[in-house]
Amino acid sequence: MTELLVTIFSTAFFVTVIRTSTPLLLATLGGLVADLSGALNVALEGQMLVGCLTAVIVSVYAPWYVAVVAGVGAGALLGLVMAFFALRLKADIILVGFAINIFASGGTVFALSLATGGDKGTSINLVSKAIPPVDLSFLSAIPGIGPFLTAMFSGHSVLSWVAAFLVFAIWYFLYRMPWGLWLRGVGEYPAAPEAAGIPVNTVRTWSLIVSGGLAGLGGAQLAMFNYVGFARDMTGGRGFIALGAVLLGARHPVGAMLAALLFGAFEGLSIVMPGLFADAPAELIRMIPFVVTILALILFSYRAQQALRAKSVAKT
Amino acid sequence: MAPLLEAIGIGKTYPGGVVANDGVNLTVSAGEVHAVVGENGAGKSTLMKILFGIERPDRGELRLDGKPVSFTNPREAIDAGIGMVFQHFSLVPSFSVYENVVLGSEPKAGIKFDRRQAIEAVRALSERFRLHVDPLPPVGQLPVGQQQRVEILKALYRDARILILDEPTAVLAPQEVEELFIAVRALVEQGRTVIFIAHKLPEVLEISNRITVMRAGKTVGEVGASEVTEKSLATMMVGREVALRVDRAATTGETVCEIKALWVKGEVNQTLVEDLNLTVRAGEIVGLVGVEGNGQAAVLDAISGLRPIAQGVAYLNSISVGPLSVLERRGLGLANIPEDRIAQGLATGASVAENLVATRLADTRFVRRGLLDLKAIKANAEQLIERFSVRVGGSGAAVGTLSGGNMQKVVVARELSERPKLLLVSQPTRGVDLGATQFIWRSLTDARDAGAALLLSSADLSELLALSDRLVVFYRGKIVAAFINQDDLTPETLGTYMLGLATQTQEEMRLALK
Amino acid sequence: MSTQQALARQSRWASIRKEAQRSITALLIALVVAFIVVLFTSKTPFEALNIMLTAPISKPRTIGLWIDDVAKLTVTGLAFSLVFQARQFAMGVQGQVYVGALASTYVALSPLGPTYAAIPLGIIAAMLAGGVWGFIPGIAKAKLGANEIVSSLMLNYIAIELCNFLVRVQLYEKPGVLTSTPFPKIAVFPPLFAGTRIDLGLILALVAVLVVWFALYRTAWGLKLRLVGHNAKFAEYSGIKSTVIMVSAMTCAGALGGMLGAMFVQGQTYGKLTVMFEGGLAFEGILVAIVARSRPLAVPVVALFYGYLRQGAQLMNIRTDVPAEVIGVVTAIIILLVSSSFSMPGKTWLTGLFNRRADAAPVAVEGAPK
Repeated sequence: MTELLVTIFSTAFFVTVIRTSTPLLLATLGGLVADLSGALNVALEGQMLVGCLTAVIVSVYAPWYVAVVAGVGAGALLGLVMAFFALRLKADIILVGFAINIFASGGTVFALSLATGGDKGTSINLVSKAIPPVDLSFLSAIPGIGPFLTAMFSGHSVLSWVAAFLVFAIWYFLYRMPWGLWLRGVGEYPAAPEAAGIPVNTVRTWSLIVSGGLAGLGGAQLAMFNYVGFARDMTGGRGFIALGAVLLGARHPVGAMLAALLFGAFEGLSIVMPGLFADAPAELIRMIPFVVTILALILFSYRAQQALRAKSVAKT
Repeated sequence: MAPLLEAIGIGKTYPGGVVANDGVNLTVSAGEVHAVVGENGAGKSTLMKILFGIERPDRGELRLDGKPVSFTNPREAIDAGIGMVFQHFSLVPSFSVYENVVLGSEPKAGIKFDRRQAIEAVRALSERFRLHVDPLPPVGQLPVGQQQRVEILKALYRDARILILDEPTAVLAPQEVEELFIAVRALVEQGRTVIFIAHKLPEVLEISNRITVMRAGKTVGEVGASEVTEKSLATMMVGREVALRVDRAATTGETVCEIKALWVKGEVNQTLVEDLNLTVRAGEIVGLVGVEGNGQAAVLDAISGLRPIAQGVAYLNSISVGPLSVLERRGLGLANIPEDRIAQGLATGASVAENLVATRLADTRFVRRGLLDLKAIKANAEQLIERFSVRVGGSGAAVGTLSGGNMQKVVVARELSERPKLLLVSQPTRGVDLGATQFIWRSLTDARDAGAALLLSSADLSELLALSDRLVVFYRGKIVAAFINQDDLTPETLGTYMLGLATQTQEEMRLALK
Repeated sequence: MSTQQALARQSRWASIRKEAQRSITALLIALVVAFIVVLFTSKTPFEALNIMLTAPISKPRTIGLWIDDVAKLTVTGLAFSLVFQARQFAMGVQGQVYVGALASTYVALSPLGPTYAAIPLGIIAAMLAGGVWGFIPGIAKAKLGANEIVSSLMLNYIAIELCNFLVRVQLYEKPGVLTSTPFPKIAVFPPLFAGTRIDLGLILALVAVLVVWFALYRTAWGLKLRLVGHNAKFAEYSGIKSTVIMVSAMTCAGALGGMLGAMFVQGQTYGKLTVMFEGGLAFEGILVAIVARSRPLAVPVVALFYGYLRQGAQLMNIRTDVPAEVIGVVTAIIILLVSSSFSMPGKTWLTGLFNRRADAAPVAVEGAPK
């Protein structure tokens, strides 16, 4: 038990959590943008998965950053497809989302097989690239806490820093820029922006595109940093966990970050635990993030109900 | 000089074949208040949607300043200087007043939304046009009258030269209507033009300069407000003399419903109804008067079982309904015609027959051992369709395919078919044409004459005055006045109490509350 | 009145025809896309297509594979239809299949396994387990408002890992082999046709169709469920306890999912529990339910068509260089097209051609809201 605590409070574990949280956070931010515009994006999982594969394949032929952009583009394209069917052709957005998930699950394996001439399920024969870590080892020069800072902050993926910046950027966009006002207005009461001449469907389309792009970015991180290479269904439910994280984060970017960190921490735990408890069953450890998500969701819904009551009692 | 705004020969047929506008002409001069009147379904709303770019006409032409224009969306209409205040406000509840006003045309500082400038602009506008409202609180917390001002400010912020007000008085108490009219006059003084959609004639005559009358999708004439009387205008509107008069109850019987010290709380525990005492007897209609949201709906919901009773008791034939389920209350003879038939009163995707038995799925005539008796359900539907002359292809047709009036008849048929002892009625004729209104009013008085006790809530004071035997006025969840309905009772008197400007003493109320 | 009824019947037929037309059009578009994909990706495209379209009926054995798939697709389609009719988006059939399979495995490998009780008890145990798995997201939503999509998806992953775990540590035949001990012969569904995989599961599926249809259209519970699905507020107003209906619908759908689990592991195909046995079939119930518009009687028909395609793709996978996953693409396209209000290609052009006639005709059915 002490070993576990030592591990959890180590800088190495912190680095692990940042790594596991980053794809989740990116997908959660994607889910948040769509959700606030009133379009529930249940296709995050599929968009991430397609982002993974696209990034992996492109990275074989192009520099890593081009591959990342390609991953974003693939996710965004699926977001556009979603918008087209859900907004233009009036299909139920949840069904459209699941169609995209089914498409992604089969389509990625299919496409990988084509790209590699028959590989089924993994990209071991592809020499794909990784996203470089950001080296901050110069921080060691700071006397005293230098080595600690290096251990904490050096070696994270570029995209981890990007994700942290995006939390701020999306907050700024939503609450400080006019288009954020539009987006939130469209999500809360579309008749109002409509009457003010704001093109409601265009706003939703863009938010679905951005949402898909963010999920694709999360996919790129997953397949070019957390793992290097593609495997069938490698997102393993992260897109769905992200959906839960949106709700748990009280539909706010900072909340989304905290929720993603929480789920990331449990995923990190499931990574370090086999090393500590050799006989702990791997399946049950892999189950942890899902159990935590469902418990967190239930607890959060319960708390939200209670808070609503408590607040009103205080008022009267 | 060319008129400011002209609509010539406008025609609009909706997919599905409903002809909403068929050769409509409208000529509005600068600086006037121009009323467009007509009964529900005459095509006023469609015309306004066309003027504002929400709908596109199939035929005809719009001219602004003598030049032909065509709007493909509201944005273009707004840019051309047309502003619209809908009957259902287009405000985002959690946004502050200033955010709502500037939404879509925000002042910017670089890429940033310039909040300070927005607040300043709203303050300046509300000063200039005497539309006082605090720019900072979220609009969801404001009373209806203030929300309407926010809507008007929104249009003015966009520099609307022409302001279209769609049934603006429908949600207001008489005194609030006066305030609105003061603002409208201020607008005209400052060179704006107002188009005023309405069907309440006294208001139209008071505020407008010229009046265009519509009937069945056509314009039937344009007159000066000073040239006509209420009566001649009404004749133009419906094409025949109408007298929507209703006889008062002949006799009243036993007490059917008795409410004692009733408290009702809302979702967030706020008090909706406070210490209410009321008695309703067989064979009478008691009207619940009040600006929307002052507790009338909550009382009806508490009696029907859609909201819990927080404190106190409501008796139906001496049985306390508090602990009973919705179905058990219905079993005691309670029926309920809800405010919004599509949102609450019907399942539009289900068939007419299914809708007609939805409230009686515990009744052995239709359900035995959990199994549906399809024959009985169909027979029930066919009998009610016949009796209430619902126009429908068959009992298996989906309710959603019916017209508004026929949908409401399905609700009325279901609720009246069991000879209710206590009937709760909310907005029975909202959005229903005149023919169906007459039919529904007669159904309600027939139920009364058959011995039912009725509690009626309506936003339309004339409906309340026409139907009720007694009236109680709600203000902030309490009864502040009670009247026996006599010819000398006016909307203005009721309005004073609706706004809380006056309160009757217990003594004054006693006679009408007994 | 009788003419009115005739009219109503006519319009009903017209709308059924319209639905069928749309579904077939969607299927054709999806097939064309599949053809194009195969054309560009396969070295032997025509052979691949030929296999995809004809192989399922080429031999009794492949027909058996097809019909076996149809039975399973029917059950998952019914489970989704049930929750969709109540307008819930519980996505938990996959998890229910795994827990159902676990439950029936425990029955089959218990002392009861070698008795005649193994089959009925296995099915019942599976339905109970699946029901519990369906009940959890239902009650969490009813009591706490927890989003049922997220919670049911999480339960899917939990069930899969649970199954993996139990197979590895407890149910394995030999250490290191990820399958359970084969069930006693008497605990495995008897085949209906010797030498094929068609077994008792098909009968279960057909019975399930009738039961679900009867429950939805002939019982008060079904009418309440449909009314909740149409308009939950109206249901509350009518005195229907919509949360009870919602939870019971999700639980019943869960029981169907659980039964599907028993059909997998107790069926001729497996006769034992293996990890990841379901292969994504459960989610394809979404497609079946959507194309069937959640009508139980239409579900097996849709399953028949879709199962054929699916089997064709599997055989193409085995015999040619085209991966079976192409079916995922086809599935997605069909869902997208059927659930959206697309119009047939060229329809605009046609209406343009017959503009005057189209204008004059009354469009009663077109104008009806969904």
